[in-house]
Amino acid sequence: MLYLSVTGFVLQGQSGYEAPRIKWVVSQNSNLSVNGSTNINKFSCVVPAYDRTDTLFISKSKSNKEVSLSGSIGLNISSFDCHNSGMTKQLQKTLKEKQFPALHIRFLSLNKFPDLNAQPEMITGLVDIEIAGVSKRFEINYQINRDDQKTIHLLGSRVINFSDFNLVPPRKLGGMIKTKDELSVEFHMNIKAIQ
Amino acid sequence: MKKILITGLIAGCVLFILSYGGLFLGVRYFPALFVDYNNPLFNSDGSRDVLFYMHAFIISFALSWFWDRFKTLFKGTFIMRGLEFGFVYSIIALLPVMWISFSSLDINVIMVISWFLYGLAQAIIAGLVFAKVNP
Repeated sequence: MLYLSVTGFVLQGQSGYEAPRIKWVVSQNSNLSVNGSTNINKFSCVVPAYDRTDTLFISKSKSNKEVSLSGSIGLNISSFDCHNSGMTKQLQKTLKEKQFPALHIRFLSLNKFPDLNAQPEMITGLVDIEIAGVSKRFEINYQINRDDQKTIHLLGSRVINFSDFNLVPPRKLGGMIKTKDELSVEFHMNIKAIQ
Repeated sequence: MKKILITGLIAGCVLFILSYGGLFLGVRYFPALFVDYNNPLFNSDGSRDVLFYMHAFIISFALSWFWDRFKTLFKGTFIMRGLEFGFVYSIIALLPVMWISFSSLDINVIMVISWFLYGLAQAIIAGLVFAKVNP
């Protein structure tokens, strides 16, 4: 019993992350955009206003080398607006909105604990992106800063491919109009930190 | 019958080159006209590409039969016969189809006009081929 108590304390002392975790509340005025192109035009589809309030948790290791960022955000595919009704319907169909109505971004880690001051800081982190029922891990480039109102602005960007998620980019008129496989995903999250 | 098939095949080859060549150049040089095709209304998985590219032959065989049946009604030089044949087909067949398409599908007027002109051009070209090969 004494042995267990002692080793338990030792193991707790050696555990990876310091308590407490900081709660990050993602506010509703966050947004996400997806930019792509075809051989005849470019398109930009946005989820203009995030319609949920989600929570992320951030904690750092003693060494500050490992930063855990946990939690996820979900976005309804039907919320995408490509500024052209046909393009909007096409994106929703391509992303299999009827079968998989939401895409999810699960946050996993950051490469360092952000300084969180007014000066934008460039960091990277790992996320799992799930689209159309397929989940894939990506390293995301983030720009992060905190403004005078203590709101944290987390801007993430990453180039992904339709084919990463077993999706086929649409082609029309016997292949004369082709959508490129590459998509640039950008999101801007406004976050309030709660200790 | 053999004459109809051979004439249809020749017109089909000519239309295949001119129609899809024209479409390729249209997409390349007038891309704005084709933006609205990015719509689930149009097949997007490539499963019907063969049918799409067969259209030149389908219309050619149909028009070849029509020409053989009514060619005596078209008088004048081969150019005049080809032009008249194209206009007759467009007014009898294309115009009503375009009308019902525009009234029932979520497509714009530019798209419908372009389809009408595309069909008219195809029928005139086919008419010119028929007037030469099967006068």
